Amino acid sequence: MKTGRSLWVFIILALAAGIGLGLAYGWFIDPVDFFDLTPDTLRADYKADYVLMTAEAYRLEQDPGLAARRLAIFGTQSPSAIAANGLTYARANGFADSDIALIQELVTALQAWSGIQ
Amino acid sequence: MRRVLWSVLLALLAGVGLGLAYSWVLSPLRVTNSEPIALRGDFKDQYRSSIAAAYAATGNLPRAQARLALLGDTDPIEALNAQAQRMLASGQSFEQADKVVALAVALGENLNGDAPIPTSTFVVVKNDERTFTATPLPTSPDTSVLLTETPQAIETQPIISESTPRPTQTSIPTLGAPFTLTGQDTICDSNLPDGLLQVVVLNSNRRQLAGVGIVIAWDGGEEQFFTGLKPEIGNGYADFIMTPDTTYTVKLGPGSDIASGLTVPTCQASGGESFFGGIKLTFQQP
Repeated sequence: MKTGRSLWVFIILALAAGIGLGLAYGWFIDPVDFFDLTPDTLRADYKADYVLMTAEAYRLEQDPGLAARRLAIFGTQSPSAIAANGLTYARANGFADSDIALIQELVTALQAWSGIQ
Repeated sequence: MRRVLWSVLLALLAGVGLGLAYSWVLSPLRVTNSEPIALRGDFKDQYRSSIAAAYAATGNLPRAQARLALLGDTDPIEALNAQAQRMLASGQSFEQADKVVALAVALGENLNGDAPIPTSTFVVVKNDERTFTATPLPTSPDTSVLLTETPQAIETQPIISESTPRPTQTSIPTLGAPFTLTGQDTICDSNLPDGLLQVVVLNSNRRQLAGVGIVIAWDGGEEQFFTGLKPEIGNGYADFIMTPDTTYTVKLGPGSDIASGLTVPTCQASGGESFFGGIKLTFQQP
């Protein structure tokens, strides 16, 4: 009886150790390779650069609707909020003044366009 | 004893299996700091389109190149041309597709040394750490683009110069400009499909133009196709199979020359037997 109980203890310990090993391998050593992702998963600096791209294009096109459609790929927020986040990031991370001014212009235009003040 | 060892080993393996199932299938790590290279194809298209629109506005080719590099295309020029085709085919505005083509042309000219190399510095740095450390990002169009994640650089692409004048806007072919029919040749090649109509569209610098719409009409029918769908032959190439005994008319944009009265020619092989040949039309912007 005692031997049988010890066996179960070993089995449970081995199972737990195996689960731990599996989790460690699957989360840290060889995590799932992701592809076909959506833009909302992009890292903050890439998002900010995308906002900057949109702002650069807006400077020429002067079409807030088109700029909003470009920013809409991030999905979960309003275009003006996405642009405002980009502006915050740009200011906090040493973007050039000219780039910040472009994004600021875009934010202002989008706020006016969407009616969000 | 042996039975105990086997039991423990089996339990360990079962545990590993459960752990992997949980970490790979049930609850994989949530992606929050992905890179543009991992985006879905249609989002990559939008990313490229935005890069092209920004380039059209700023003329900053190094910055556009740095951004395109993030998408990991093996051939960015081909990717841009192919995207322009998709944009036109899906009914998106010609103006937006034109910007994508213009960026492809600018990249091509830069590769061929036709355009002055922009005097800027840009560096794309990657490393294997997943944690983001905040860094100054894209800088002034007049100076550089700096996309950095962490200090361990494994990939750099510097273009260094002493002065940093703003790159001039690369000349962009206007796809809507009229084309002149500069060549109409009968092709007698038994290796080609019967009745093959080949169309090659060039800009004023004799560079092939992708994304140019071609309308072919015949008695009771009309079809539109685009150059660039066979980039392995040429960005400005398109073809169509003609039916014998039918007369076709080929036209490009408004104001361009029209090639009319096109019929499948009959050719003589060296052995004396006849076969249907083809026609090659060349259009060029003056």
